[in-house]
Amino acid sequence: MNKLLTRIAIGVAGAAVILLLAFDAGGRRQPDDGRIHIRYWTIIGMKEIIPYFAQSFGNVQNRVVVETTPIPWQEHEKKILTSIVSGNPPDVVNQITPVAKWASRLALVPLDDYIRRDHFDSTMFFRSLWDEMRYRGRIYGVPVYSGSYALFYNRALFREAGLDPDRPPQTWDEVFALNERFVKRDARGQMLRMGFIPTYGNIQMFMLMAWQQGATFLSDDGTQIHVADSSVARALQWVQRFYAEYDQRDVAAFLGGLGFADQHGFIAGKIAMMILDSSFPDQIRAYKPTLDYGVAMVPTFPGHPTASVSGSWWLGIPRGAKHPEEAWQFIKHAVTKESQLLEIEKTEESLFPANRFAAEDPRFMNTPAREVFVRMMEYSHSPSIVPLVHDVFWREIVGAQERVIHKLQSPDAALRQAENQIQAMLDEARDYDLYVHTHAEER
Amino acid sequence: MKGIKTPWMNTHRRKQEAALGFLFASPWLVGFLVFGLYPMVMSFYFSLCRYDVLRIPQFVGFANYHTLLARDPYFWTAVENTLYYAFVRTPLCITGSLWLAVLINQATRGARAYRTVFFLPSIISGVVVSVLWLWLLNPQYGLINSALQMIGITGPLWLQSPEWSKPSLVLMSLWSIGGGRMIVFLAALQTVPHHLYEVVDLDGGGAWQKFRHVTLPIISPVLFLWIVLEVIFSLQVFTESYVMTKGGPLNSTLFYNLYLYYKAFDDFDMGYASALAWLLLLFSVVVTAVQFRVGKRWVYYETDSRP
Repeated sequence: MNKLLTRIAIGVAGAAVILLLAFDAGGRRQPDDGRIHIRYWTIIGMKEIIPYFAQSFGNVQNRVVVETTPIPWQEHEKKILTSIVSGNPPDVVNQITPVAKWASRLALVPLDDYIRRDHFDSTMFFRSLWDEMRYRGRIYGVPVYSGSYALFYNRALFREAGLDPDRPPQTWDEVFALNERFVKRDARGQMLRMGFIPTYGNIQMFMLMAWQQGATFLSDDGTQIHVADSSVARALQWVQRFYAEYDQRDVAAFLGGLGFADQHGFIAGKIAMMILDSSFPDQIRAYKPTLDYGVAMVPTFPGHPTASVSGSWWLGIPRGAKHPEEAWQFIKHAVTKESQLLEIEKTEESLFPANRFAAEDPRFMNTPAREVFVRMMEYSHSPSIVPLVHDVFWREIVGAQERVIHKLQSPDAALRQAENQIQAMLDEARDYDLYVHTHAEER
Repeated sequence: MKGIKTPWMNTHRRKQEAALGFLFASPWLVGFLVFGLYPMVMSFYFSLCRYDVLRIPQFVGFANYHTLLARDPYFWTAVENTLYYAFVRTPLCITGSLWLAVLINQATRGARAYRTVFFLPSIISGVVVSVLWLWLLNPQYGLINSALQMIGITGPLWLQSPEWSKPSLVLMSLWSIGGGRMIVFLAALQTVPHHLYEVVDLDGGGAWQKFRHVTLPIISPVLFLWIVLEVIFSLQVFTESYVMTKGGPLNSTLFYNLYLYYKAFDDFDMGYASALAWLLLLFSVVVTAVQFRVGKRWVYYETDSRP
């Protein structure tokens, strides 16, 4: 009796151990076909698509096979993080969070040696995208796709308001003045339509204004935060002026009634002017193909060049990848002009190529809107401003604007508070960075 | 148990039995040690470090705790928001569920149907409920403000307003008062012995006296358990603000766990996040201990020797 029990107990324990081991081994099988299999993790949004360049890599060589794994948008960062820590990362990752956020944490393989050896020509990329790949003088990624922003305006509403639909506003003062022509309210005073709202959209409009005013946000040596700067304050003053004219609660109620797809403010014809990105024409085509709209350069302040923001989708090789050389070959293939153009033609997603020659090719630049988007790329800034505390920076920037909108603080006070907070976090992060660098060498 | 010592059981045999017991429990034991205890111990160690997972930890002692308590404005905002949520929501949802349970308990016909209908909302997942309520609470087109409009009240901005965002989330959490909690209360109500009500009748008491002096004392252990649980659950509120408000407007819905999440998974500031987690655990333990203290005064166990 007792012996039987012992055997069962050992059996149960044994099975548990075997199961644990089996789960571990499951992930690492390498097919034995004499070729090298590299793993590529890509981000998926709504549709599960395999990038065309992952398939076409097989056409240009047959030594390396790319196994693509689509990872859902929300989990991507966490999965990469854990795969690197566990020592079993993919060979290539696709990311949109700033390169420097990963590079500064030693999560990526620097690519400078490959670039030098292969005479890889970095001038094929839009400059702001390539600059984003650099951290402390070394390159850690290669840009694949981006998005470009421009001013969208509703031509039908312009005509209705007695304006020339071929003359979109060029300065922020014009935009401000135009607002009144578009505002519509119901009997109870609720807003039904607006001209332009600086806090609606998926970018921070006042940051564009700050760049236009010459803001840099960070000292050249990367140690001092310059958020409480007159350039940023002037941008925030524009927002303040808007909310002095239009009650914050009215605007919030109006914005609350907007949504996605055909409920989107611009598509529904409830907002006459907006800064939107290069994928938006596809949305319009899908939800309101009859919408009569124009695309123009982002307005600016008189005498200042315009500005835009473009984050890069990039490819990188995680630290600990098993096949960095093959990964590099694959990355090079992914960003050629031909790969990029084919990818854009083959997929339903609207992509904007990081390769400027692909972007300027008539196969891509085939609408007036796309011409504007390509031109706007020349004025684009990277959203990766303070790599060590990237998310803190953006949370504080948004927080400062919120306090101004709710009339709790003046632009100067709000920005000073944000600057202090970011600076404190940056000092902490730099301290830790220094510790890691001195101690990593000891090992 | 101490008294039961079988004379035939020698020490060798008992050791053998114990070993066998551990062997049987080993799948759980291994699981607990590897996935439960080890991460907890490590998270405490990391709470004493600067650590971003990808790089080596830097030991800084209690600096994270010091920063949290002395210098971090968001910490206190998060604490305030979370306490508000926990201590406004818990009484409301406990009384709400109890009220529904009492109603159903008195229904002579269709009790089952009511029970099912009231239970239905709670089987929907948190994210879906959040999205649904986003529309209900929509200031311009939402059902709630439209209803208010009909009786001549201009509704607030709900989630878009720093004053109303927390009450909105509390209101929304009452969505599930008919859920598991109500079912348990209902079961408890059915255990109240009938003869006790008859005693109140004989003494000339009414419905309120019955409820106050018979029902409540008898079901008090169940109430107590749920109050303790609900406070702990509310302290961990996360999904609603993560999905609906992202902590805004003006950080009015920046709850403790949401802040912890931002620190851990946006900023990769794992040391700081670990310190946050340990403070929450500590606080939960203290609150629960206080509740047990206070509970002794009002919770009635039938095994009590007290009259």
